[in-house]
Amino acid sequence: MGLLNFTCDPVPEAVSSDMHNLNQLSAQQFSALTEVLFRFLTEPKEVERFLTQLSDFATMNKISLGPLKNIVKSILLVPNGALKRNLSSEQVRADFIALGLSEEKASYFAEQWKVNSPTLTRLAVGQTLMINQLVDMEWKFGVTAGSSELEKVGSIFLQLKLVIKKGSQMENVYVELTLPQFYSFLHEMERVKTSLESFS
Amino acid sequence: MAALPAGDFAALQSLLKAPSKDVVRQLCQECFCSPPAGLGPLALRACPSLAVSTEEAEQLVSALHNLTRHVVYRGLTRAEDILTLFPEQFHQNLKNLLTKIILENISAWRNEAQASQISLPRLVDMDWRVDIKTSSDSISRMAVPTCLLQLQIQEDVALCGNSPVVSALTVELSKETLDTMLEGLGRIRDQLSAVANK
Repeated sequence: MGLLNFTCDPVPEAVSSDMHNLNQLSAQQFSALTEVLFRFLTEPKEVERFLTQLSDFATMNKISLGPLKNIVKSILLVPNGALKRNLSSEQVRADFIALGLSEEKASYFAEQWKVNSPTLTRLAVGQTLMINQLVDMEWKFGVTAGSSELEKVGSIFLQLKLVIKKGSQMENVYVELTLPQFYSFLHEMERVKTSLESFS
Repeated sequence: MAALPAGDFAALQSLLKAPSKDVVRQLCQECFCSPPAGLGPLALRACPSLAVSTEEAEQLVSALHNLTRHVVYRGLTRAEDILTLFPEQFHQNLKNLLTKIILENISAWRNEAQASQISLPRLVDMDWRVDIKTSSDSISRMAVPTCLLQLQIQEDVALCGNSPVVSALTVELSKETLDTMLEGLGRIRDQLSAVANK
């Protein structure tokens, strides 16, 4: 096996025989399996659904579930590596062929990869580490009518509640701003937006 | 209307023993700024310069505190309003002096009262920075801009006294989050102008 695009590490031995078994599937069966796989890749939280669909596929096509799961594990190695390394569909196709998959099936999978890669990339970016991510912001503003020191005041206040994700927990931060501070804050945030847009 | 106890005005007469107008001025400032708990020590400090007994000093300081705080509370800004607080027989010159001193300080005192009123933690300063994320463990090449926002927040002034606690909070915002936030801030601005235009 030559150099692979999706990984630098040696590929497990079982992969070759898994690819051989895959080649035995009809085009229709392979297409159905590919669909199940991509649905899982684009919605990685739906593990239950994925396992159910695999089990249904196994039953419908009279394949044992155990070997099918191993095959699926082998197939998934490629898109996972491809995502990390921003591989093109050409490279994905070449890798599958290098692993032993038929040209027809490799091309089909690579096509599906091309179609799904924007979604998959967006997911991967979304998973990237964020420090103290701002998750939500609530606000209220009002007028201070009076206080224990001043009978009549009439000053405007703005209160923000920032919901921040610290690790796996949410933390609420409450902040009060005066009106000039609010306008200054708004101005700064608009500058940030311009800056972010110029880099997008 | 006598908003202050009659005894207070009697105590204020001790000011007649003050060596100079500046001493009176200084004392007014200190009495306003001091919280009720700080009046005792303040009285002890004032004793020597006024040549009064401790008890008289305490009563004086308390009376000045009440007077100045009352004027600020009611938001009195005109000389006539302040003059009418004093009883008829009160020493004329002292009354005029006190009124003058209070008028000199009234807006500074009001601002201070407003600045030190209870509130949620206050925003003191903010800084931001835009980073471009180029790589992560889930994707080895990307160019995703992200914003880091640092807010300097000061805890409630009233609780901290003279040593305010300022904490810095750094928050990360994606472009989508920023857009949503700006939408919200825009709505606040619109509502504020609607209120201002009414």
